[in-house]
Amino acid sequence: MPVIVDPDKCNGCHNSKQPPCVRMCPGDLIVKDFQTNKAYLKYFEDCWDCLPCIKACPEEAIRFQLSYQMGFFSASLQPHIHRDRQNITWTLVDAHGHKEEFNIRTKVLEVALDERIEGEPTPDFSI
Amino acid sequence: MERPDQQSIQRITHDTDILIIGGGTSGCLAATEIKEKYPHLSVTIVEKAHVDRSGCLAAGMNAINAYLNPGETPESFVKYVRYDSCGLIREDLVQSMAELFEYSVKKVEGWGLPILCDESGNYAPRGRWNIKINGESLKPIIAKAARDSGAKIHNWVVVTDLLMSGERCAGAVGFSLRHNTFYTFRAKATIVATGGAAGLYKPNNAYDAQHKTWYSPFNNGAGYAMGIRAGAEMTSFEMRYVALRTKDAIAPTGTLALGVNAPLVNSKGERFMQTRYAHLGGDGAPTPYRAYGPIQEVKAGRGPCYLDTTHITDEQSRQLKMAYLDMYPSQVLYWAANDIDPARHPVEVQTTEPYIVGGHCQGGYWVDIDRQSTVPGLYAAGDVAGGAPFKFVSGCWAEGILAARHAGKEVQSMALPEVDHLQVETAYQRCFDPLFNHGKVKYGVKPYDMEVRMQKIMEEYAGGTSQNYEMNEERLQLARKYMDQLPGQFDQLVVADMHDLMRAHEVMDRVVVGQVLIEHLMARKETRWPSYQTRTDYPERDDLNWLKFVNTRRDRSSGKIEVLFRPYQQLVPGDRYHPGAKPHPKPN
Ligand SMILES: Cc1cc2nc3c(=O)[nH]c(=O)nc-3n(C[C@H](O)[C@H](O)[C@H](O)COP(=O)(O)OP(=O)(O)OC[C@H]3O[C@@H](n4cnc5c(N)ncnc54)[C@H](O)[C@@H]3O)c2cc1C
Repeated sequence: MPVIVDPDKCNGCHNSKQPPCVRMCPGDLIVKDFQTNKAYLKYFEDCWDCLPCIKACPEEAIRFQLSYQMGFFSASLQPHIHRDRQNITWTLVDAHGHKEEFNIRTKVLEVALDERIEGEPTPDFSI
Repeated sequence: MERPDQQSIQRITHDTDILIIGGGTSGCLAATEIKEKYPHLSVTIVEKAHVDRSGCLAAGMNAINAYLNPGETPESFVKYVRYDSCGLIREDLVQSMAELFEYSVKKVEGWGLPILCDESGNYAPRGRWNIKINGESLKPIIAKAARDSGAKIHNWVVVTDLLMSGERCAGAVGFSLRHNTFYTFRAKATIVATGGAAGLYKPNNAYDAQHKTWYSPFNNGAGYAMGIRAGAEMTSFEMRYVALRTKDAIAPTGTLALGVNAPLVNSKGERFMQTRYAHLGGDGAPTPYRAYGPIQEVKAGRGPCYLDTTHITDEQSRQLKMAYLDMYPSQVLYWAANDIDPARHPVEVQTTEPYIVGGHCQGGYWVDIDRQSTVPGLYAAGDVAGGAPFKFVSGCWAEGILAARHAGKEVQSMALPEVDHLQVETAYQRCFDPLFNHGKVKYGVKPYDMEVRMQKIMEEYAGGTSQNYEMNEERLQLARKYMDQLPGQFDQLVVADMHDLMRAHEVMDRVVVGQVLIEHLMARKETRWPSYQTRTDYPERDDLNWLKFVNTRRDRSSGKIEVLFRPYQQLVPGDRYHPGAKPHPKPN
């Protein structure tokens, strides 16, 4: 399973109908479960590993993990977007626990917690 | 989303001057250009995902791969691309996009894209035609510009068919993934910019990594399919793109080959491109040979093959990882998980499933210099447009801009074309059939089941990876026979929600594209692009008979695919099999 939403960290972006991870997935693979108020990767076998969901998550609640056939889970890679939105820092931990950080210039745009959908019959979104 | 019922589907008709199908790289640039040059025109983008992160650019980008570095000209670019594509391209198209590289790159830089510069303030080159960027957020930057331009954006609307008014394209229809809505978009001009097609052949990986493809698995060739159904002429599908990529992760290798000058080596450490393909340019040979070479090494028992990075320093290794983080982060995690350090270990490579991508190769709509297709009122830009390989991100921008300028001019004093009601009803039926009507079928077929069936046929008979991309007349005939059975089974496709309805349309589109691809592969009786198009029964290149384009057109009523040939025109003088003089020596 390439990206995993950590249910302990995900707060469903409060009462957002379309949290950022749901909106930013280019394959429409993530959904929010309104019973648990948490998002999850519904169609895990269709994931492209492109990571917009992880970058857009305000709680940093989504973990990137290779499919097991690509290699064991002992390594990890997580991005962190700086407050100034001009830098992204990736933390890489290899299979031996060795940690490396990469700070890269970027220009990350703000992603709102929710968004009105064009053409929605009854636009009742509340954030 | 719960299973929608027929009654719950609302219909929205939206009229616009110019409709853009696909809010990717070229679609967004087309929108901004129209609004800039013709602010009074209404522009509508229809995108099946969310424009902020949709299409090929979802993960980001680390270079602009087509740019005229100091000293280069549109003509020198044409010479190189012609060489790289084995002597056959639409030179008019390639030249016209090169003329807009500077304009489009400056534009996107102005929107905030960080481009790396060298000490003298020039853009930092990577190889002859690339410049380095920090493009992790390239797509949201472009999407914001499209939004700010005043274009109306419909996210999560999947376009299923074009609308026609007589012989003229008059818009398109689609359905929403988010609310139960069927859309009719009526337009004076339509620009299709849906990208290329992945998923026609068996993918490199299986199960939960089946979409660990290089090309976006969500670009299913919808734009080709809707054009084919509307009778638009397509060109050069047979120039499939078989990419040389890193093992398993399937990440682009230009970052290694151009970024740190890593040569190809086989398992014996031999630089086989230099020894066996020296006459074609060695490591700088045309791109098809850089896939063909390693395949032959593996066949001959000298695999696996690598891009040898072991000469680089630890600092360079770090830089390399940073370059991948901007474009393809999973490569870095793959190395970490598998104990691979490119400074110490050469990077293993493999070749991909064949894709149809008009931006790397030249399969796509047959267009004129203004990017008008053969259907009046319908334009094509980016990976969906044919004849102009080596587009990459900047060529896609240029094509969006060219289409926009002409479409904007064309619709100035035009009324909205009439669309008859019956046509919309037929499109509505086709759109929702898998959701409503096919439900009556007792044992349905899932979209994924049909996808696997299609991929199996294409893989085994039409030159998939496991066949070393080879094919002959007899196998192609079987491919045609079995692929031709699939449309008759579309009425067995059964889905329960809008997401799966999208998957159903994706596979139906892929089948249509696959059928046309087979006709192209059968028609070209030579081998022009080894590995992209390897005909074992016609193994040689044959300029005498085949220096021309293979085109197809599907008859709108009978559905029969007709093959046509279009002449090649040399506009830039010089040896077509020579890359042309380099104003600057290549870094070694
Ligand atoms: C992994 C990867 C890395 C790359 N790296 C580089 C690089 O570093 N430098 C470079 O120059 N080039 C690079 N390229 C190439 C470049 O990204 C593409 O050539 C370019 O993005 C294609 O632009 P496009 O507008 O044609 O397609 P896209 O940008 O993919 O846009 C197509 C859009 O159409 C939408 N769409 C598809 N079907 C439908 C439908 N039925 N209805 C509505 N919308 C639909 C899609 O969701 C998508 O948003 C890379 C490509 C890939 C795949």
